[in-house]
Amino acid sequence: MKKSDSKRQAILDTAYGLFRAHGFEKTSMAEISARVGGSKATLYSHFPSKEELFVECVMSVLQNYMSGTLKYLDAAGPDPERALVRFGASVLRFICSAEQVEVRRMVIAEAVRSGTGKLFFNKLAALRAQVSAFLFECMSAGTLRNDDPELAADHLGALLEAEVLEPLLLRVRDDSPQEEEIDRAAVRAIATFLRAYAPAETYSTAARAC
Amino acid sequence: MKSKTEAKRQEILKAAAEVFREVGYERATMSDIRARIGGSKATLYNYFPSKESLLLEVMHHARELELQAVVAALDPEAEDVRKELLRFGQAFLAVLYSPETIATRRLSIAESRHTEIGRVSFERAVLPAEKKVAEFLRAAMKRGALRTADPKIAAMHCLSLLESELLQRMLLGVIEAVKPETLTSAARRAVTAFLSGYAPAPASAARN
Repeated sequence: MKKSDSKRQAILDTAYGLFRAHGFEKTSMAEISARVGGSKATLYSHFPSKEELFVECVMSVLQNYMSGTLKYLDAAGPDPERALVRFGASVLRFICSAEQVEVRRMVIAEAVRSGTGKLFFNKLAALRAQVSAFLFECMSAGTLRNDDPELAADHLGALLEAEVLEPLLLRVRDDSPQEEEIDRAAVRAIATFLRAYAPAETYSTAARAC
Repeated sequence: MKSKTEAKRQEILKAAAEVFREVGYERATMSDIRARIGGSKATLYNYFPSKESLLLEVMHHARELELQAVVAALDPEAEDVRKELLRFGQAFLAVLYSPETIATRRLSIAESRHTEIGRVSFERAVLPAEKKVAEFLRAAMKRGALRTADPKIAAMHCLSLLESELLQRMLLGVIEAVKPETLTSAARRAVTAFLSGYAPAPASAARN
């Protein structure tokens, strides 16, 4: 790791901790810079504003985790089901963790107030694109029906979150779901998704077989 | 006397809603709200003992009535499942994507860490919608119009698909308003995906 990269990472780690502990508004660039050590000028040379630093430190945690999760899709064989279930369960484990639920609340709270929502959305587009690229491949290979891969990615994400996310975000429950619950939700979501996006062939073949 | 009390209550709620929208819940103070309506601070506290209690009422007042109407209109006896779900889906999204509802939803997510707001919002708004959609789907499953599955899970899948294209964009403030035709096509795509996902098994369809 280059010296400037390790500095950048140190800033991201420190900022992430402070934002989580005190919230966006009560965390200042001066405090971050003091904790990391070095001048404020150095901090600003890495991140031009507190808003951008906030988005970057949340995104870097997400990207770091997702780089492992996306490997399930890369390793998918001719049948996408297994890969999608693994991918889905892995995504759910991340977003249902107590830490990420809190971070998501903060991101949503600040989205409009500090104007960081659009920045986030643009950064998230890169991750979404990787999922839709995978779905596009499935459509080209005929394992999913032809449709808009970006729409399919939105539907896939929504189905995954459907059972578990909202009660956590609204703190209807405090406990993070157990592995088993997450796996069940992922299996059901992927089953619905695969039926919804099944190639037309599957149905006619099944009907003929009867 | 009752109507005068109720009128005052409504006046306070309206002023509070404006203040929350303008400066956000955290920065809003009871004094800001009192300044809009006049009168003493004691009067305000007499109606609402805390900023939190005020927020709860503000949030649920507007959203609840609209949502209740949309949810109540979903008819489990409707013959044409697709048509009824489309109609419901559009009306549901129209309420969900109104700037007021989005601001409320953002607020209830943001504040649920320290308050009971999220729980109340869930119980009053989310749960009734889920229950009604589940009831509708259960009836459709019984008639064989949908594959047999857990209607509660199916309802969550259905509502989540409806929200899938635009909710995140709206919560993040990427878009502020949705045109009716955008909303209609998002609902149509969601209902299409949902109905394919829960279509009756081909074998039984062929037999019928």
